[in-house]
Amino acid sequence: MTSSNNIWYKQSLRLLDHELRRGELTIIFLAIVLAVATVFSLTGFSGQIKHAIVANSTNTIAADRVFGGNGPIDDKFITKSESLNLNVAQKVATDSMVFFGDNMLLSEIDAVSTNYPLRGELKIQRAINGVEEVVGGPARGELWVERSLLSRLGVEIGDTVEIGVAPLKIAGIITNIPDRSYRFLVAGPTILMNVDDLPATDIVQPGSRMWHSYLFAGEPTAIETFEEWIKPQVNDTQRWYDAKRAQNRLSTTLGSAERFLSLASMLGIVLAAVAVAVASRRYGQRHQSVVAVFRALGASISHVRKLYCLHWTLLSVISIAAGLLLGYVLLFMGANAIEEYLSLDDSPLTFTPFITAIVTGLLCAVAFAIHPIKSLIHTSPLSVIRGFSAAKDVQFGWHQLIPLVALLALLLMFSGDIIMSFSLLAGGLLVSIILLGLGRLVMNAGRSVGTKAGKSWHLALANLKRRANENSVQLVSFTIAIKLLLLITVMKTSIIDEWQAQFPEDTPNQYLVNITEEQIAPLTQFTEENDIPHRGFFAVYRGRLTSINGEQTIRIKDNQEDKLANEADKDKENKEKEPEGRRGMGRELGLTWLNDVPQQNKILEGQWWQKDDKTPQVSVESGVAERLDIKLGDELAFNIGGREITASVTSLREVNWKTRQLNFIMIFNQSVLADFPATSISAWNVAPEKKDAFYQLIGQYPTISMIDFDNIMKQLNQMIEQVTIAIELILVLVVLAGSLVLVAQVQASMEERERELAILRTLGAKGSLLRNSILFEFVALGGIAGLMASIGMEIGVFFLQTQTFDMTGSFHFSYWLVGILSGAGFVGLIGMLSCYRLLNLTSVTLIRRTM
Amino acid sequence: MKVHSEVEAESILKVSSLTKSVQLEDKTLALLQPTDLTVNNGETIAIVGSSGSGKTTLLSILAGLDLPTSGEVYLKNHALHQLNEEQRSQVRANHVGFIFQQFLLINSLTALENVMLPAELANIDEAEQRGKALLEKVGLGDRLDHYPSQLSGGEQQRVAIARAFIGEPDILFADEPTGNLDTKTGLHITELLFDLNEQLGTTLVLVTHDPKLAARCQRQVEMDSGVLTQASENSVYVSNENSTVANVG
Repeated sequence: MTSSNNIWYKQSLRLLDHELRRGELTIIFLAIVLAVATVFSLTGFSGQIKHAIVANSTNTIAADRVFGGNGPIDDKFITKSESLNLNVAQKVATDSMVFFGDNMLLSEIDAVSTNYPLRGELKIQRAINGVEEVVGGPARGELWVERSLLSRLGVEIGDTVEIGVAPLKIAGIITNIPDRSYRFLVAGPTILMNVDDLPATDIVQPGSRMWHSYLFAGEPTAIETFEEWIKPQVNDTQRWYDAKRAQNRLSTTLGSAERFLSLASMLGIVLAAVAVAVASRRYGQRHQSVVAVFRALGASISHVRKLYCLHWTLLSVISIAAGLLLGYVLLFMGANAIEEYLSLDDSPLTFTPFITAIVTGLLCAVAFAIHPIKSLIHTSPLSVIRGFSAAKDVQFGWHQLIPLVALLALLLMFSGDIIMSFSLLAGGLLVSIILLGLGRLVMNAGRSVGTKAGKSWHLALANLKRRANENSVQLVSFTIAIKLLLLITVMKTSIIDEWQAQFPEDTPNQYLVNITEEQIAPLTQFTEENDIPHRGFFAVYRGRLTSINGEQTIRIKDNQEDKLANEADKDKENKEKEPEGRRGMGRELGLTWLNDVPQQNKILEGQWWQKDDKTPQVSVESGVAERLDIKLGDELAFNIGGREITASVTSLREVNWKTRQLNFIMIFNQSVLADFPATSISAWNVAPEKKDAFYQLIGQYPTISMIDFDNIMKQLNQMIEQVTIAIELILVLVVLAGSLVLVAQVQASMEERERELAILRTLGAKGSLLRNSILFEFVALGGIAGLMASIGMEIGVFFLQTQTFDMTGSFHFSYWLVGILSGAGFVGLIGMLSCYRLLNLTSVTLIRRTM
Repeated sequence: MKVHSEVEAESILKVSSLTKSVQLEDKTLALLQPTDLTVNNGETIAIVGSSGSGKTTLLSILAGLDLPTSGEVYLKNHALHQLNEEQRSQVRANHVGFIFQQFLLINSLTALENVMLPAELANIDEAEQRGKALLEKVGLGDRLDHYPSQLSGGEQQRVAIARAFIGEPDILFADEPTGNLDTKTGLHITELLFDLNEQLGTTLVLVTHDPKLAARCQRQVEMDSGVLTQASENSVYVSNENSTVANVG
């Protein structure tokens, strides 16, 4: 006789139904939900952002091709393009001050021709909640601004503001710029103005930083002809690019940000997987008796297998579905949070996040549970007589290959990079082993301390040590989570303050740019009257290093630089030039002349010139000299505004970049540059009480751009704040996953704990002793994690301080306390909550249950 | 399945020259010395003995949970010693009922669902009606939907008894059925077990160290260090010339 065909099906559903309701599958359920939700929301979110920024915009450069450079284009380029029937539009971008009454704001000014854009759509609203219209560049006298400018400058549509010395009327709010630079986090709001209004502003001065873009569009063949013609004529400070290249750069940048977030969230997913593994081991153990009874009562192995396969499959499906739902809610919240910056309304959710999340869920549910389930199914019916095998220590064996491979597959799916996945897995294992060893040491040390401490502590630490294997997983996860949280907190609150505090008192906080010759005298007078420290005015010339000893310099592709480059349209577009010639700077430099060695610069080689020496000479910053292999006596040629100058290197200088003073890579003697027109820059230290007077002064010279360092720091802090919110959110997921592991472990040890408590009870231990011993066990575990996290944080901070911020390392002991206390408190709380039932059992029940 | 022609019609369980030994690192430990035993249809028999005497080992082989090292076991004419795990499962599903010392109810199933389980496995229709009726019979008619954790020890064992009888097994194995219960509850359970057994005419093989419980059986055999001896015959019963035999090998 065989068991009926669908009995297993009914029994499986019955079991699932009861166990779900009785909360016996909660941990596994939550772990899978957590993993799926994390993956779904992150993949979906980053995918949508990418789509919104890159794929969705019909054209990211507002043209078919763009030519960019520091100055106006040669007329022959325009003539040639016209002969090919190409449309040409112009865009000049610079940063400048915008004034409205007493308010001023540094903004990104884009001066465009009226036929801008050539591709894609520029959209504006003429009233706050007005209709969106597709337009070309603004008419003369009018401005279109980004919405955030209104509140930051305190203006409304229709108000007249000043850019430089030109009064211009705000005529609309920009809702879409096709070639948006996405510098919105670091630069001020964007303002579009008519390029013909630019001269009237007076902000274009010799030496001003301007980026001139010429946009070309037309028939593909004409464009290609033009491209072939123009490409050889592009020099190493100019850029020629198409939408694809701009998009590639943008998506590379987004891609690395996305990968970073994914990898951070991997920690959470891995922990969720560990929680599944731990919970499914306990599940397997707990179900041994069920299977044994089933088998003893005559159920066949295939019956049991079918029953559990269905049971586990349904559990996985339910968990994955719930995870997708939760992930969708998170995604929705994320989209709402960034709506101000970027609307995701038009970015459809693709299948990718669904598939990735479902695969993650399945991997977690199957790979991490397959071994316990498999051994469960093969439980011998004899166990009903012989008893059940107790929880064994984790055995190392082939079966552990499956979760490891699954982990690798998960990592691969996220990073798409085999080497990175392997090194992460290996690195992760290594870090875990180190932390494990350390944790063991501390737990052992605690054990000997405990013998001398009170009874509860004694018991607690003895238990901690005995369960060291199980505890180490939680230890590692909590340590990592607490460490990262501490690191972020210290970063946010301390490092930047400390960095700022280390500068001497006269360190500049205001940088003045675009100062004309005539303005120097009144400004100097103001600084003298108001006792404002500064190191003078430096004439700035924008020039390009064209050759070294007669050998042409070229832009050498620098991979690292390329990866770090984060602007789509500016700075560092790679050239496809043949690498013939010497390595050059690859960008324009700010050049200056000086009679004396600047303060805090040290001559390493050669000698500084005499004041009236007319021989063309240049002093080179030592780091650059080393990179470009420049030696004393080398002849350097520069192109400044189309004119070529040559000077020989007579000294190499070490520059202290840490001072926040104005520093120059190339400094000439006066006679070399004296004939060139220039504007000056200056760095002042304006005390807070003198700021009003200072702003009044700046108000009188609207063509001068003022960069307020304090303001930049404020913006930087805000940026860090925004970035850390994202990281903190992920860390919350990590902490959740870690807690799941903890709860799963506690549940796995529940029977053993019951037995111990019963024995202690029988021996006459008081309730308070038992309660405290359990509490202290978790408190100690959390405390140890907090301690190790603090050490890890301090190491991390030390590296940040010495490597990134170039400052001396310092200790942050108050945060150690935060780490240890929060670890002890949190783990103690979670532990007590998960032991709630155990602690509430009366001793009679306890003894009866376990005897 | 093989049917042993020599097994008399009235015997349900027949064991001959049965041994069981386990291999420890370098030596063999004999758990059961060569043993012969015949149990007749409808008979009640108690295997008594101290802890570690081997009575539980014998029970697990008799019930087809374990295989002997040598010798033969016939249950309802099935040669258990020649069957694999799956085939023995089927024999158990169709002919055997169990009562365990630790009750071994499935915690996540209700009392009724626990009782229904063997009937479902044996493909018996009306498992639910039968289960309800049996729970009514053991006095738990109002606790059908309770989980084992909501029942006392005695109540749990009553559920286990109901479960043991639902499939109307030909033979019932009980392993220290009162071992986890207090004396009074134990007595109630004993009554219940023997009452139901009598009503349904089931063969009962009972392992216990409790002499009072053993005394309720028609026949007692004693295990001592793996050797089975006939202890007493409560209601004089001799099967044949070397009836219940313990053969010291």
